[in-house]
Amino acid sequence: MIDIFYAAILAMLLLILVAGIRLAIGPTIPDRVVALDTINTLMVGSMILLAVYLGQTIFVDVAIVYALLSFLGTLAISKYIGGEL
Amino acid sequence: MIEMILHLIILSGIIISAGLVFAFRDLLSAAIAFAIFSFLLAIEFYILQAPDVALAEAAIGAGLTTAAFMIAIRGTVRREGDGI
Repeated sequence: MIDIFYAAILAMLLLILVAGIRLAIGPTIPDRVVALDTINTLMVGSMILLAVYLGQTIFVDVAIVYALLSFLGTLAISKYIGGEL
Repeated sequence: MIEMILHLIILSGIIISAGLVFAFRDLLSAAIAFAIFSFLLAIEFYILQAPDVALAEAAIGAGLTTAAFMIAIRGTVRREGDGI
């Protein structure tokens, strides 16, 4: 019998792969930046689901730090595209 | 046994994104593909139950490396092979 959280983790990882296809074939740079941001958000969600699946409370802290830092990477790329950096 | 499916998906994603870093001619696209590579490596460390390594990898890969690459691309050229 498969766990319900494991099925949710698998669905999120398959969505990450679909966003990765958009990253690979995206014709312009903003397509790739939006794919990067989508992958970041999906990865924060799957980290919290993995913390539930593995039964470790300390793993949620990694997801919080990750959600803060993924913003910085997207912000740096967006500043470069906008010509402000 | 059942975690092998997660490892299979994430490791194949790591290999594909590492190939994209070499395949892209635009250096900005290569930097974005490297960010994806770093994030997938962080979640692979996470599944292997090493949260401190995943935390350091996410901090270095997401915050520092992308900003440093953007500053370096701004200082030099964006297309590969243009010369300075």
